[in-house]
Amino acid sequence: MSRRRQVFLGCSLLLVFILQLAVIPQFKILGVQPDLILVLAVVVAVQDGPVEGAIIGFIGGMMLDLASHQVVGVGAFSKALAALFAGLLKDFFMTYSILLPVLLVFLASIFELSLHQLALMMLGQEQLPPFKLVGLVLPAALFNVLTVFVVYTILKRFRFPLKEESMIVTRIGGS
Amino acid sequence: MPATPRSNRNRIILIVIVIVCVTLVTLYVRESETGPLHDIQNFFVDMVSPLSSSFSKIFRPIKDGFVNLFHLPSLSRQKEELQKEVASLRRQGVESKELEAQVKELKRLLNWTEQRPEYETVAADIVGQSPDNWQRLMIVNKGSSDGVKKYMSVVTEEGLVGRTIAVGSNSSVVQLITDSRSGIGARDLRNRETGILEGRNEETLRLVPMNDDAVMQVGDGVETSGLGLTCPPGITIGRVYKVTKREKGMSRLVEVRPFVKFSQLSKVLIIIMPEPEKAILKEAE
Repeated sequence: MSRRRQVFLGCSLLLVFILQLAVIPQFKILGVQPDLILVLAVVVAVQDGPVEGAIIGFIGGMMLDLASHQVVGVGAFSKALAALFAGLLKDFFMTYSILLPVLLVFLASIFELSLHQLALMMLGQEQLPPFKLVGLVLPAALFNVLTVFVVYTILKRFRFPLKEESMIVTRIGGS
Repeated sequence: MPATPRSNRNRIILIVIVIVCVTLVTLYVRESETGPLHDIQNFFVDMVSPLSSSFSKIFRPIKDGFVNLFHLPSLSRQKEELQKEVASLRRQGVESKELEAQVKELKRLLNWTEQRPEYETVAADIVGQSPDNWQRLMIVNKGSSDGVKKYMSVVTEEGLVGRTIAVGSNSSVVQLITDSRSGIGARDLRNRETGILEGRNEETLRLVPMNDDAVMQVGDGVETSGLGLTCPPGITIGRVYKVTKREKGMSRLVEVRPFVKFSQLSKVLIIIMPEPEKAILKEAE
C-alpha cells in the first residue's frame, strides 16, 4: 500500500468517524443506523487486503468505543475480526463485481453485530433476546449494504498504486 | 509450503490486535470507574461531544425532512385530522364566546327586571334589522303568543330601545327610538322639564321641550316621562349631547345621545302592559 493511500485511508477513517458519531445517528430508520466504519473496514479489506481492513476496523472500532461509552475494545475487536473475515472470504470469489463487496459487507455486518452482542452479553453488559437480535442485525446489515456503493466507489477512485504496480498495469495494458 | 514474509506480518498484526483487544476489554471491565481507561474514555467523550452537538444542530433540519419523508402518508392523515380538530375547536371557541356574551346580556336584563319588579317583561332575541337606510327597525322573536302587543316598550339595562309597532304570533317589529317616525314623552332629570323625544334616523335624538324657555344643559340626563301612557316613566334614555341656541326665529335644537348601543344589541326586554294601543287611542281622544 502506498503512503498516499495510507494517508487517504487515515483521512477517510477520520471523516467516517465524524459522520458515524454526529450525522448518521440523525438518520435512523426502524431504530437502526448504518455502521460506516465497518463498511469502510470491509471495503478496505476487499481492496487492500484483510490485515489492512482489520487495522482500519480496529482503529475505527476503538475510536467508537471511546466515544460512545462502550466497553473499550469490544467494538474494535468485532470490527477488526469482521473485516478480516471479509478479506479472507474475498479470495474464495473470482469476481471483481461490485456485488462482491455488497455480499461481503452483508455477511460481515451479520458477523460483527452478532459477535459484538455476544461479547457484551458475555461481559454482562447487555441481555438482548435472540429474536430482538435478529430484528436488529438484519435491518442494520441491509442498511450497511446501501452505503457500500458510495464507499466502494470513492475508495476505488483513490487507489494510489505503488510505482511497481503502476508499471505492471501499464505493461499488461500495452501488450 | 513455507509462509511468505507478508503472511507472517499479517499473522503478527492479527495476533497483536486480538491480544490488545482482549487485554483492553479485561482491563476495562476489571478497573473501577476512576481507572485510567475510563479516564481516557471520559476525555475522549468530552472532546467529541461538542462536535457531535454542533453537527446535530446543523443536521437537525435535514433529519426532520428525512423523518417527514418517511412519515409523509401518516403526516398527511394527521394533518387532515388536526385541521378538522382545529376547525371544530375554533367553532367551539366562537360558540362559547357567543354563549358567554349571551349569558352576560341575560344577566344584565335579569338585573333590570329585578330592580323593577312592578313590570312584567318578556326577554326576546333580535333576529333581524331594518333592510334599508330609511327606517330604524328591529325584529324580535317574541309575538302575541308571548303576550306582546302593539306599542309595548322595549328596553335593555342601558335604557329604552323603542317600541313594538307590528306584532305577529311569534315575532314583532320594534321601532327604535332613533327612527324618524318615533316620538316619546321624555323628561330632563335635572329640571324635570318634559318634552317629546324625536328620532332622526341618526345616532342622536332631538328633544323638543314643552316649555320653550326651559333651560337644557349639555350632560343632563333624560328619561321617559310616562306621558302618553304607552311607555312607563323613569326609564333612562340618554344624555343631552348638544344644545344649539335658537337664532332668527328658529326653534332651538337639543340633541340627546341614547345610552343604548343599537348596533351591539342581541337581546331585549319587552315590557308587558295591559292595553297600550287602547291607552293611546284614549289619550288621542
